[in-house]
Amino acid sequence: MEGLFDYAPAIALFPLAAFVIALAFGPKLPKKGAIPGIVATGGSLLLSLAMLAAVAGGEEGYYHETLFTWAAGDAAGEIGTDAIEFTFGILIDPLAALMLVIVSLVAFLVHVFSLEYMNAEGETGLPRYYAGLGLFTFSMLAFVYADNLLMAFMFFELVGLCSFLLIGFWFRTRSAPSAAKKAFLVTRFGDYFFLIGVVAIAATFGTVQFAGEDSFVAAAAAAIDDGGQLFGFDAETWVTITGLLVLGGVIGKSAQFPLHTWLPDAMEGPTTVSALIHAATMVAAGVYLVARMFGYYALSPTALAIIAFVGGFTALFAATMGVVKDDIKQVLAYSTISQYGYMMLGLGVGGYVAGVFHLMNHAFFKALLFLGSGAVIVLMHHEQDMWKMGGLKDKAPVTYYTFLAGALALAGIVPFSGFWSKDEILYDALIVGLEQPLIMAAYAMGLIAVFFTGFYTFRMVFLTFHGEPRTETAEDPHSVGWAIKAPLLVLGVLATVAGLANLAPVAKLTGAEISFLEYWLDGEYGGLEALTYHSYHETVPFEEGAIGSETTTMLLGAGLSLGLALAGAFTAHALYNVPSPTRHTEKLGGAYDVLRSNYYQDEYQVWLAEGLTLPVARAADRFDQTVIDGAVDGVSSVSLFGGDRVKRIQSGIVTNYAALLVAGFIALLIVLGFLGGWFL
Amino acid sequence: MMIEALLAVTLVGALVTFVAPNRIAGKLAFAISLLPAGLGLWLFSAFDGSGNALLEGELAFESRVEWIQIGEYTVSWFVGLDGISLPLVVLTTILCTLAIVSSWTPIDDRESQFYGLVLFIEANLIGVFAALDFFVWFIFWEAVLIPMYLLIGIWGGPRRKYAAIKFFVYTNVASLLMFGAFIVLVFSLGDAVTSFALPEIATAMLEGGPEAFMGVAGSTIAAAVFVAMFVGFAVKVPVVPFHTWLPDAHVEAPTPASVLLAGVLLKMGTYALLRFNFTMFPEQAEAFAVPIAAIAVISVIYGAMLALAQTDLKRIVAYSSVSSMGYVILGLIAYTQFGVGGATFQMVSHGLISGLMFMAVGVIYNATHTRMVTDMSGMADRMPVAVGILVAGAFGYMGLPLMSGFFGEYAIFFGSFGSGRLPYSQVFTPLAMFGIVIVAGYLLFALQRTVFGPYHLETDYDVGRAPLHDVAPMFVLLAIIIALGVAPELIFEMITDAVDPILENGGEL
Repeated sequence: MEGLFDYAPAIALFPLAAFVIALAFGPKLPKKGAIPGIVATGGSLLLSLAMLAAVAGGEEGYYHETLFTWAAGDAAGEIGTDAIEFTFGILIDPLAALMLVIVSLVAFLVHVFSLEYMNAEGETGLPRYYAGLGLFTFSMLAFVYADNLLMAFMFFELVGLCSFLLIGFWFRTRSAPSAAKKAFLVTRFGDYFFLIGVVAIAATFGTVQFAGEDSFVAAAAAAIDDGGQLFGFDAETWVTITGLLVLGGVIGKSAQFPLHTWLPDAMEGPTTVSALIHAATMVAAGVYLVARMFGYYALSPTALAIIAFVGGFTALFAATMGVVKDDIKQVLAYSTISQYGYMMLGLGVGGYVAGVFHLMNHAFFKALLFLGSGAVIVLMHHEQDMWKMGGLKDKAPVTYYTFLAGALALAGIVPFSGFWSKDEILYDALIVGLEQPLIMAAYAMGLIAVFFTGFYTFRMVFLTFHGEPRTETAEDPHSVGWAIKAPLLVLGVLATVAGLANLAPVAKLTGAEISFLEYWLDGEYGGLEALTYHSYHETVPFEEGAIGSETTTMLLGAGLSLGLALAGAFTAHALYNVPSPTRHTEKLGGAYDVLRSNYYQDEYQVWLAEGLTLPVARAADRFDQTVIDGAVDGVSSVSLFGGDRVKRIQSGIVTNYAALLVAGFIALLIVLGFLGGWFL
Repeated sequence: MMIEALLAVTLVGALVTFVAPNRIAGKLAFAISLLPAGLGLWLFSAFDGSGNALLEGELAFESRVEWIQIGEYTVSWFVGLDGISLPLVVLTTILCTLAIVSSWTPIDDRESQFYGLVLFIEANLIGVFAALDFFVWFIFWEAVLIPMYLLIGIWGGPRRKYAAIKFFVYTNVASLLMFGAFIVLVFSLGDAVTSFALPEIATAMLEGGPEAFMGVAGSTIAAAVFVAMFVGFAVKVPVVPFHTWLPDAHVEAPTPASVLLAGVLLKMGTYALLRFNFTMFPEQAEAFAVPIAAIAVISVIYGAMLALAQTDLKRIVAYSSVSSMGYVILGLIAYTQFGVGGATFQMVSHGLISGLMFMAVGVIYNATHTRMVTDMSGMADRMPVAVGILVAGAFGYMGLPLMSGFFGEYAIFFGSFGSGRLPYSQVFTPLAMFGIVIVAGYLLFALQRTVFGPYHLETDYDVGRAPLHDVAPMFVLLAIIIALGVAPELIFEMITDAVDPILENGGEL
């Protein structure tokens, strides 16, 4: 099995080849580049599954190989190292192998879905579309198995580029290029901090490796044990600072508060792109990075608490906004932000398994929901307003039942996948929260968000599929073919059963050993000791409490979150599962305007860019033109003016010259006389 | 003799082009320029030097002939290459060839003179990077100005006379300052030097430094010379506040002149700073580290803010050069292998990327006859390939990983963050790094308004796909940019080899 690892580079290189082929020959190819994309991502998927098998079946159970040296040189590290190597390398451990499968699977299904969603609709620019998908898949896969922080940063940025290209796919409109720009700019603002973090970590520890003897995580742990100073801070504070800097990139890409504003706008891209990038993978990159370098964050209780708090807050904050959206994709956009908040919450309280579990489940059910909404958009002839839908249930049963499976998972209804992972996150947050008031607050926000999640999810389901058709299009929808149905069915099954991977509560109650994902991430089937759940768990500095016994705490937590989810769903049922639903917005009063305007988050960020930075830039430009360049032109004016005046002496009249000559001679004599002391 | 051959081929080629008929001058100049470009690549492959040219390194392609005796001082024809100058020579030869091809469309008047001047400027630029005797170096250094003055003044835009004179006078006055300072330095070194050979002067500076001269203490002279030379070179770079000639020159210059101006001429300034100020005056550089780093940061941020306020595509790219050159200064003052090496790498990288950007803007201008952001939108609809390359170049400018700009900037940031020589380097570095956010802001704004959105053009021209010879040079540049971004060691290894001896004099190694 170990031999399979030698093929690991091909996982990312296949889609890269598809990118090149689509770009160079796309217009001449039968499906404009779709076929190479499907073949490449299919190949990546098979190889990723092989990696999963190789991790489980190998002796070492991981693969860590440097491919080539990008740049190397001498550099004094703060902890005393004197040289550094920046390399490209591959690290495949249980976490990376799992993520490779998720990414390549979703990418593969999105390619298949695109055959109908994009090709059949007579789009122009399809080679560009498939090239973008290929480049994206390449970047994301390379990011996932990057073995060091710098390489991760590089592909993280490339993922950002791809999102720019794909969100702006319909570049002839005004809104798509604007949304693309916003997505890149906002995430770049986060990446600015990330890059400082990379530079700081490299300059401190002389290495950027994630794993192994010479990893920065190990070096940081050693530095904290030594108790020395790093750049004038004590080691733990410095680890916190650098960890939070890297977190800037995470907050940008994973659309956490306050850098979440790009994601809803990013729905300007094709729905397939939304499914691939803004639900299942690119946004996942941020959270995945936290999981990838979890050993580093585990060293800093402050950083963890901040991750948890930001996550909990974002989960609630975004969920409330999802409640009032009319556009089906907008609802999903806000739910994405909210769900990544849960993952951050889980990781922040040390629930490494729970966070990764939800990452996986969410990838499946959110890709499903986005693709399902894509199917709805096809059915509705490109109508996205849910108020113009209704009654699609009977006309498109495959779409409806798969969408419903995704919705149940999203809302966290037992036994669908989302329930298990969300419950585990909330449980982990609760037991830590019982000892830490700040985490308790984060938990509480996450818990309240469950109600809103149940509500907006089922409001969406009821408005779209139930009731009477509200427009002629909804009466007589377009049909969808196998290329749309097949991916929906695959994801529908996964969204339903993926929870089986880690039935932690059942395991605790019955004692059955069925927490497979936990064993997987704990290195029981293979992996690196330093990157296992138990080694993280030992490092995480939080105390854990319980209400009564562990079992009562668990049951209480699960009951609470399930109850709230059902309450949300039933509220939606009562309000919207009627033949002709109405908006009910007046009941929200003033809150409606605030929610509708997304808490004015866009307003202040646009103001920062256009109301503050731009005028400052213009003022700087005026200053530059008048003062600095004015000084330069002034110097030249003075010399021109001086020359102009002096040249008047050149009158051409000989007597004038004679007079000047004599005057000059006399002046010279007087000067010499003074200096020579003649007049004394 | 290879450098002489390189210079001779280029100069003779320039003369031949001057007398050739206008009709064939463009193609002829391209054919001729392939010779130096090929020779440059051969030099690159046959390079066997090591160490720093000024600090007793093994020179490649060295040649030294005594030339003139001025009093006690010997002037020699002394040329040779090390790991710092070679990449810049190769950059020059490649960029000149591509600039010539990119002139075929826009230049339709007095072609033989135009292409002759381009080849003439190429020869002088090679001379600047290869010369190791101050006298020879200074001749090339000054001789670069004349053809550039003419290129702007004859083939430029409406305000070409103002821009050309401003460019010439400003940089010439700066040269005078630098020249005077250098002569003072040579005299104050006394008997320690008997020639104008730069290695000898560098050795004398590092081993003894200036003696008291005309009643002024040696250390004061050294400091004054350092400052005067810094200012002299800073105009060329240019750093804030000596930058205002640059946007005017760029806006008025024809596209190929802009390509050379941003691509190579600006690097003369940073190259000279590295060779003179930072190699010969390590102590003074350390003493002035904080103000220089402040100037670097101000250039980065202020230059980027100015770019943000522009609506002329060429002005945007011009101001962004000020910003990018600020990174170079930061890398140099850091005095670490990654800092100085990254700065040198960034000189090459920025030459390629800014050249690409000016070409792309030029291609759009050829078709639309306007460069104003407000005059056009949706150009991607009509010229997809050219716009695709423009977008790629813009992301290169933003420092997208796997393109050369990222490595240059990353190396500089990494090198300066950990620098022990630069006080407050952990403050300066993040401040300068904010440039990567602003650059994304102004380039994406410009792209959004010009190449995306519904097609619209204020001027009355029919826009179609750009011809192959407009696009091909940009492809070549893009390929090099990506190659250097994926494998920066291609040149970084030789650069660090030449940088190390500089750092031994008080830097960090």
